[in-house]
Amino acid sequence: MLDFNLNEFSETMITTNRYKLITLVFSILVLASCVQDNAFDTPSLEVEQANITGTEITMRALNHLLIQEQANNENSLLTFDEADDSYIAGYVISSDQSGNYFEEIIFQDKPSSPTIGLKILIDENPLYITYEFGRKVYAKLAGLTVGLDSGVLTLGIRDGNGLGKISAAQMTNYLVRENEVAEIAPLPITISEFTDAKTSLYVSLTDVQFNRNEVLGINRLTFAGEKGDLFDGKRTLEDCSNNITAVFSTSTFADFKGVLLPDGRGTLVGILTKNFFGDAYNMVVNDPSAISFDSTDRCDPNEIDCGLAASTGSIVLFNDFFETQTINQPILGNGWTNFIEAGTETWEAYSESGTNASLGISVRMGSFSSGDESSVGWLITPQIDFDEQEGETLKFKTSNSFSDGSTLELWISQDWDGQEATIISSTWALLPAAYIVQDDDNFGNWAASGNVDLSCIKGAAHIAWKYVGSGDKAYDGTYELDEIEIESN
Amino acid sequence: MRGWLLLLLFLSAFICLGQEAILKGRVIDSNSAVVIDEVIVSIDGIAITTLSNSDGLFNLSRFKLPQGEQVLSLFKRGYYQIRIPIIIQNGKVINLDPIYMEIDLSELETQIGIISLSEEELDEDEGTSFNVSGLLSASKDAFLNAAAYDFSSTFFRPRGMDNANGKVLINGIEMNKQYNGRPQWADWGGLNDVQRNRHFSKGLKANDYAFGDVAGTTNIIMRASQYRKGGRVSYAAANRSYRGRIMGSYSSGLSKKGWAYSILLARRFGEQGYQEATFYDANSVFASAEKKMNNQHSLNFAAFYTPNRRGRSTAITQEVRDLKGVTYNPNWGYQGQEKRSSRIRDVKEPVIMLNHYWAIGEETSLNTNIAYQFGKIGDTRLDNGGNRNPSGNYYQKLPSYFLRNENPSPYDFQQAYIAEQEFINDGQIDWKSLYAGNVISGNSTYAIQEDRVDDTQFTINSILTTSISENILVNGTVNYRSLKSENFAELKDLLGGNGVLDIDAFGPGGEESNSDLQNLNRVVSEGERYKYNYELNASTLSGFAQGQFNYNRVDFYIGLSLSHTNYQRVGLYQNGYFPEADRSLGESEKLSFTSSGFKAGIIYKITGRHLVDVNVGFLSKAPTFRGSFANARQNNDIVVGLVEEKVTSTDISYIFRHPIVKARLTAFYAHFEDQTDIGFFFTQNALGNDETSAFVQEIVTGIDKRSVGLEIGIEAQVLPTFKLKGAASVGQNRYTNNPNLYLAGDDFGTEGNDISSQGVRKVALENYHVSGGPETAIQLGFEYRDPLYWWFGLTVNYFSDAYVDVSNLRRTKDFYTDIDSQPFNDYNEEIARDLLRQEQIEDYFLVNVVGGKSWRIGKYFVGFFATINNVLNQDSRTGGFEDSRRASYRQQVEEQNRAKPLFGNRYFFGNGTTYYTNIYVRF
Repeated sequence: MLDFNLNEFSETMITTNRYKLITLVFSILVLASCVQDNAFDTPSLEVEQANITGTEITMRALNHLLIQEQANNENSLLTFDEADDSYIAGYVISSDQSGNYFEEIIFQDKPSSPTIGLKILIDENPLYITYEFGRKVYAKLAGLTVGLDSGVLTLGIRDGNGLGKISAAQMTNYLVRENEVAEIAPLPITISEFTDAKTSLYVSLTDVQFNRNEVLGINRLTFAGEKGDLFDGKRTLEDCSNNITAVFSTSTFADFKGVLLPDGRGTLVGILTKNFFGDAYNMVVNDPSAISFDSTDRCDPNEIDCGLAASTGSIVLFNDFFETQTINQPILGNGWTNFIEAGTETWEAYSESGTNASLGISVRMGSFSSGDESSVGWLITPQIDFDEQEGETLKFKTSNSFSDGSTLELWISQDWDGQEATIISSTWALLPAAYIVQDDDNFGNWAASGNVDLSCIKGAAHIAWKYVGSGDKAYDGTYELDEIEIESN
Repeated sequence: MRGWLLLLLFLSAFICLGQEAILKGRVIDSNSAVVIDEVIVSIDGIAITTLSNSDGLFNLSRFKLPQGEQVLSLFKRGYYQIRIPIIIQNGKVINLDPIYMEIDLSELETQIGIISLSEEELDEDEGTSFNVSGLLSASKDAFLNAAAYDFSSTFFRPRGMDNANGKVLINGIEMNKQYNGRPQWADWGGLNDVQRNRHFSKGLKANDYAFGDVAGTTNIIMRASQYRKGGRVSYAAANRSYRGRIMGSYSSGLSKKGWAYSILLARRFGEQGYQEATFYDANSVFASAEKKMNNQHSLNFAAFYTPNRRGRSTAITQEVRDLKGVTYNPNWGYQGQEKRSSRIRDVKEPVIMLNHYWAIGEETSLNTNIAYQFGKIGDTRLDNGGNRNPSGNYYQKLPSYFLRNENPSPYDFQQAYIAEQEFINDGQIDWKSLYAGNVISGNSTYAIQEDRVDDTQFTINSILTTSISENILVNGTVNYRSLKSENFAELKDLLGGNGVLDIDAFGPGGEESNSDLQNLNRVVSEGERYKYNYELNASTLSGFAQGQFNYNRVDFYIGLSLSHTNYQRVGLYQNGYFPEADRSLGESEKLSFTSSGFKAGIIYKITGRHLVDVNVGFLSKAPTFRGSFANARQNNDIVVGLVEEKVTSTDISYIFRHPIVKARLTAFYAHFEDQTDIGFFFTQNALGNDETSAFVQEIVTGIDKRSVGLEIGIEAQVLPTFKLKGAASVGQNRYTNNPNLYLAGDDFGTEGNDISSQGVRKVALENYHVSGGPETAIQLGFEYRDPLYWWFGLTVNYFSDAYVDVSNLRRTKDFYTDIDSQPFNDYNEEIARDLLRQEQIEDYFLVNVVGGKSWRIGKYFVGFFATINNVLNQDSRTGGFEDSRRASYRQQVEEQNRAKPLFGNRYFFGNGTTYYTNIYVRF
């Protein structure tokens, strides 16, 4: 039988009388050396007052030294001697916490009303854990080189005729933290005030919005998560007060790149900089919280929409099938205004056969491979008088070639005076009834616009086809246009 | 019952009719006067052996004994061998009662040697080192001793097999993990004093407890009544994995009232082992009590708990080794004055078991066991929130990075020099800056993440052993095992921040990046689960039957096994990348595998001195958990093309037993089919495209391997005090086919893998060597045992033909195809062949010495024991592996053209000179 008797067991224990052993072993275990513990406290993170000696110079003075060097010695860079004891002071205005900045900090001379800023290249990521937003920092110039990098004033290490990054190991030797983290007050400016002198400053733009094609409708864009976004996602910011636009740029490495662009209107706080090539201004934010587009009342252009007409009249008011144009030449004559608002591309004639055939001679515009930061081109009809007759309609055909990143729109203006200089400042309204070829339409087909009813328009007006694209994006393609007819009863 | 009686009658009649000699006796410990069981009793030169029973009695009368002057030999590990001249005459009775055997102290000490191999060497889970040595125990076989003591530190694998091919049992219960099939040595670490009693069967040879596996089976007996009465206190000092070990144990022996108990307490500790900041903090507790209720029933309770925390190290590149040395460990940094490790392994898996032993009559016993294991295995690492890896050896911080382009400029050289100085002078994690970052960002960007596997396992089995006749022993078992394995990441330390946002830092942002759509944008606190969370459930029902037949000339056995295994994953998070119903959240398809095994073997005794031993085995095995789910952390996807693994194994040995020379020569062959391997890495060659980077699971199925070679072990007792020994293993361990590969992960759209774009493609592995230790290992050595209780041994060991583990992805078409799936237009086959050549690791010698001395002071035995490994401080690389980050032809050409590769092979470097000393008192 299974017979448990625990008394017997304890008897066995006692008779062996080895308590001493157990006590001994336990005490040794307790005494035995301790090893790394689980619990670590947060270390003291106080930044002590900077101990910096030497001569402080202003950032303006630094910029001036560079200009002198460029003027006197024709050097694009100025390197400070190892024995130089001068330093500059400034406040960090960039943050790489969200990944929109990488291996650089932007730094301006004052917490408010700044007058100059510069960029410092550092081979470390992330930097915000050392040089956080608002931190006062001294940059010791000995051994550093100042110059222009992508068009903005920059400090780094000389690498031939360019600027290299300060190594992570030496970062804290060159850039000394002060125990001050300031409130940074953004400098209010407008897009029209963008100048080189304002680059690398923390600025605010009031009453701006993203272009309606980027945020309205079903294809609302993200900051930089579109398939065409390479290195950066470029978006269009519009100033509601004067229609002037600016490029808003976000790194494809930013962790908010997949976030949808805000679709309202309001204030944006960020840093003015230049693009990689240094030939255009870009606005950049540290993170999306810098954008407060709280107003839903956008400043989009007016639309004039009389709908589509069932049929067209027999009188031709204006037409052009472009068969008399010269291939590969800009469109001329027949009352056309062919205007380049931005970039180098223009509306031109072409002829093609095969799967992507033209309709005889057709016209096209595309910024693909142009190298343009932005390509904007207008093709504007002569003035049409809409009071002389009834039942006016417009029809035309469009086709596309990989045009995902660009747009073609149909506009009308009743106050343009016919001068190129006043095109941008005139009032233009969209004609939304026209069907314009869509990105997912087959590139080989020509899409008919439908009979765009213009009968509700009074007075005289110009009609324009406006192309917008940017050439440094592989996805920016071409729009083709042909068989334009304006008819009436 | 009648059958049994008849059989007994027949047997006794046989004995009577033969008028044979009677030779019997009883063996007693000269020190304690306790009887000794399991003493091997034999007659020199003749293949007759028996064991003494639990009363110390033996009887050789059933054998046909040779007439005349013979030598009776008694052997047991830990005792001096005794050889007694006897004269055998038919009809005469020789009863040798008592025979006193004296404890051989030095022999006991050598058993400690094996234990100096700590379990983290055995559990090394990165790369190549699934060491099988833990299976082995001190034995009479010269080769196995060499493999256990001297070859083990080099990742040498006997017959090229890793420890997933071996079984570890404790009291008859299988301890191998269902996750990867490997034993978790840390679960019984530091219990050395109570784990000396082991039954090891080499390869698939007959084992009384289980069918076993092709690399061997060890059953560790942890039964209170089986421990010799007495206690032992020891202290060990070493510089390998731990610095100190203190251990005390006491066993009561079986009292007159049928009680026995045994306890052990041990602690192992160290601020760091051989490598920097590999701290060691392990306690071990064992308790067992047994009640022998009567002659039939015994009930044993055993429980052990061995919590073990240690800082881990990692494989490093040659560039890093050259700058920082072999003790460099990138996984730590100073926090204040203390070295803080970011990678800590924490194993806490207590085991409780109840064992019932039932002697059903003289010839049959039934052993029924129940075991329950629970607890956790945790591995911490630094979660850097998508920022640059803060490790000191991150490739962008090394000199090679600054010189990566052709014609480096003076600036590049300057930066390289600065980086080199920084790396030499620091090269560790800057904890303070991580705290600073977290304080600035509020939510933690950096955190300590602990990857957890919390297993709860229940096992029950019954082992039947019955002697059908004197010559026939039958074993049978039935096993049931059920396991619930919870797998998740736990936020271990916020490093000064307020919480961690549970989204994929490498994701595109938005909902898709959420780990759990049921809890969008959740902010996680310390101690909470995040990132991934799922359960794996498994149950296995298996049976095994075996017959062992022992005759004068021939011993043979035959065994069969059958098992049925079910797996199922249950997702607890709805992963943002795989939101579909039952894709990530909820139950997976139920996987079901039936596997079987057959084995047989024969020992033919040409004479008592010349024996031939042949074994064959065929078995199939269910895939492991690890090999069954393509991307278990994120979804329920099953590995495409999953089948049972098949193993064929055979060996043939010639054994020579001479009073002076003992030798064994074995030829072995093993073939593995349909193995599955899953790797996890970051590659810049996903979708056959240089531009696409992705974290991927690399799934390789249908892997066939062959291991073939020779083993030799020889020892010569030249003088009673002096023994020469030699051992060698020469073999080849190669892939024999081109298995299938595909990649899985969240970068491949809703399919979760790249099959639709890249297909399941072949990996050209055929004829590559399977990595994992040297294929050639040779030892020569000697032992001197002085009658005055001191001894000394020296071995010289030579290792060669070790190979790095090759990258699978580099051997697929992804290597040579461009984005359009056509070969690169600059592809050069000659160069490619060179790039894909498997690196052979240079050969090396290791000299090890061992020695000890013991004293007897009254009732106490005091002993001292020391080994020094790698006396000559020889540099060596013990293993390594290729990287799959830069896995295309162009990327490899680029790497090749660099002065130093950015993503070169990473190596495990052998220790320099290390020591292990131990002093003990036994009473």
